[in-house]
Amino acid sequence: MTGDGPTVRISATDPERALSETNAAPDGVFVVGSTGAQALEPLVAVTREGRTAFHARCSPERVAELCARADSPEAAQSGGSDAVVDHDPETARLPVPELPGLGAGERTVLGACGWRRPTSVADHEAAGGFGAPGPTAVLEAGESLRGRGWGDLCQDESVADTWEAVRDTDGDAAVVVNGHGTASDALLLASAPFEVLDGAAAVARTVDADRIVVYASDDDEHAVETVREAAETYPEPPAAIDVVTGPAEYRAAEPTMSIEAIEGNHRLEARLRPPGPEEAGLHGRPTLVHTPRTLAHLAVALRRDESPGTRVLTVAGDVAAPVTVELSETATLSEAVDAADLTGDFKAACVGGQFGGVTRETDVTLDPAALADADLGTEGSVRVLADDRCIVEFVGRQARFASEENCGRCVPCREGTTQLAELLRDIYGGDYDRDGIEELIRVMDTSSICAFGVRAGRPTRTAMSAFGSEFEAHADGRCPAGSCIEALEAS
Amino acid sequence: MSSEPHETAEAPPLTEEIAPGTASDPPVGGDGPATVTVDGTEVSVGADATLIDAIEGVETEESVPALCHYGREDIGPRSECRTCMVETDAHGVVPACSFPAEDGLTVRTDAGAASEARDVNLDLVLSDHNLRCTTCGKNGRCELQDAAIEQEVEEPRYGVLDDRGEYEPLDDTSSFIQIDRNKCILCNRCVDACNDVQVEGVLRMEGSGQDTRIGFQSDVDTMEDSTCVSCGHCATVCPTGSLVEKGIEDATTIPLPGFNQKNSVGTAYESSGKSKGPMTPKKREKRATTDPSPSDDATETGVWDDDGASGGDWP
Ligand code: SF4
Ligand code: SF4
Ligand code: SF4
Ligand code: FES
Repeated sequence: MTGDGPTVRISATDPERALSETNAAPDGVFVVGSTGAQALEPLVAVTREGRTAFHARCSPERVAELCARADSPEAAQSGGSDAVVDHDPETARLPVPELPGLGAGERTVLGACGWRRPTSVADHEAAGGFGAPGPTAVLEAGESLRGRGWGDLCQDESVADTWEAVRDTDGDAAVVVNGHGTASDALLLASAPFEVLDGAAAVARTVDADRIVVYASDDDEHAVETVREAAETYPEPPAAIDVVTGPAEYRAAEPTMSIEAIEGNHRLEARLRPPGPEEAGLHGRPTLVHTPRTLAHLAVALRRDESPGTRVLTVAGDVAAPVTVELSETATLSEAVDAADLTGDFKAACVGGQFGGVTRETDVTLDPAALADADLGTEGSVRVLADDRCIVEFVGRQARFASEENCGRCVPCREGTTQLAELLRDIYGGDYDRDGIEELIRVMDTSSICAFGVRAGRPTRTAMSAFGSEFEAHADGRCPAGSCIEALEAS
Repeated sequence: MSSEPHETAEAPPLTEEIAPGTASDPPVGGDGPATVTVDGTEVSVGADATLIDAIEGVETEESVPALCHYGREDIGPRSECRTCMVETDAHGVVPACSFPAEDGLTVRTDAGAASEARDVNLDLVLSDHNLRCTTCGKNGRCELQDAAIEQEVEEPRYGVLDDRGEYEPLDDTSSFIQIDRNKCILCNRCVDACNDVQVEGVLRMEGSGQDTRIGFQSDVDTMEDSTCVSCGHCATVCPTGSLVEKGIEDATTIPLPGFNQKNSVGTAYESSGKSKGPMTPKKREKRATTDPSPSDDATETGVWDDDGASGGDWP
């Protein structure tokens, strides 16, 4: 896509803002999606003959200047740039510069992010995309693919059995691409929508679906717009592709609630199962629900004929800016934490999304089994807690959030989260009933209808074992982090 | 939830549609006739049966309250109270009222985890229940009261809803049915009765979290203003004193002078007086397009926005 002249790529979560000075992108200037390393944005990459110079955090004026002098011979030299990379001139993946957040791990599934124009059919084609692998190859790839994220019907499980169940169920199948609410999924929809749609198309062909619905949060406007444009230009889709949004609430990502939202129900609550959506899903049809991460992994695995063996995750919390990275499954949590610029000393991480597990150990590997053994989650997110954070306050807020945001359907979650928040509050009054809290969380876990309630107690459960002394200190009227008792006294 | 209409793939029709506010659950039940073993006793059940059908057929080791289960007409399973949890050999702890009776399954009611889940969930139901039985019209014929007695609940772990400041006002506006939401266990039986059996489309489930409640599809606040036709079906199926036919709301009340169901709650919506006797069907004019959830403003779900998604002020 380069031709002879230089190519300038402007990469940002919101590229329009980066371009405000130059208005439209001039010739030879491509607007691409975010790389996932927001701290570097807007990131301008000037490429000439297999050498790319990266310029981080460019003001609109700087963007304009770089565009204007892109033609000069020095443009791709290191002059004034933050990093320079030599690479295959034809590369379809971001040549990775040694810049904070980008140097970590590898960029296979994320390869398109920040390099290919998100909705350019030509760019994706040049990268070997739009292949239409047959069902045998897809089923085989599915054997070693596990669903990613709580929005995925097959979270942490091999997808193959569920695909078989859909194939075995009468009725026209549907495939839901559930991109709701998770930063790394929104990144893929906005920066690499064709990777996601390739995965969805492969699955749709395999289960003979006649409908693909991409579902995302109302709040992720840019991602929704981008994937909508990509869906409209997707060459020869095997099924009609719709893009549908749902309310931004956290719970709206739950697979059965995503189906409810797509069907147009304005009050979202989880559905009973069994049978699950694979037998009776969207409008009663056999339905698969996969996240963009799962589908992009599939697409990349099919194209390369091997699983990339990586996990895409977003590091956020007490960091200068959230960063989405792709790490090997054999990498450890510490590599994820190191990818971000922490705003304080590391104290703990909440691993696995909103209701992840709290840990101070970072030597856990990132594969789902190891994370599960450590009672941590695989939600594709790590929230760093710096040393001035009070853990009791943190999990108390998580419990409160759960009590406010659950769908209200089942007792263990609706009433359980409320009582959990109360039991945590009681600690401030000197009453720390660890056994009672554990009993409650156990029951929420075994008897809630959906993963919301099953997981809602995990932050508390893990924090009580990793930071037990902090809970006891609170019962004695002391907050070791010095943050929440004061708030209590002030109120 | 945003009040903006969401973009939906298939726009729902705007008129004359029953909108109970509940999820479209899949059909539950087994594939065919099955024999399961409950606490050591073999039981045969028909096609479409759930485990509760088998459990009801034997003398179980431990009692299974199964509070929200109704099992008749087109009502349920809502499977929300989770006081019917039992342990199975193949699937772990499951809700008996909605789990399919699979042939060959072994079920235990006395397994520790199932027993604990039933007890804790019953206490959780009570934690949000105004347990003023002595002034309740269902005293003596209340399924929650029965369950609590059967389970020998003496002191519910989490207390009961005893703070009058938190009580929802009684809806005493209808000349036919009184609603006391403080006694509601959200079993949804009334909603199913009204929508699936009577096809009246009056009642619905609304809100979320602690604000979940039964309300009216016509978006009105009181029973009197609703489109209710006074068939009474909802009151018949209600397991508690939450929906009670007028005239008997104090029927079983222990006669404490001056103390009745209404003043035990403290506040009530009274009839406007303009009310009508039994009503004629008056369908809603338009479908509700907004979610009535009072937690609408708690939409800060950018999970990583600092404390936005983390439950506000603490402690
Ligand atoms: S677990 Fe929570 S969110 Fe899920 S159905 Fe129950 S109340 Fe709703
Ligand atoms: S009495 Fe009214 S609210 Fe109750 S089921 Fe009949 S029509 Fe519905
Ligand atoms: S009013 Fe009665 S029947 Fe209706 S949900 Fe509440 S407890 Fe159940
Ligand atoms: S009776 Fe099964 S959940 Fe209520």
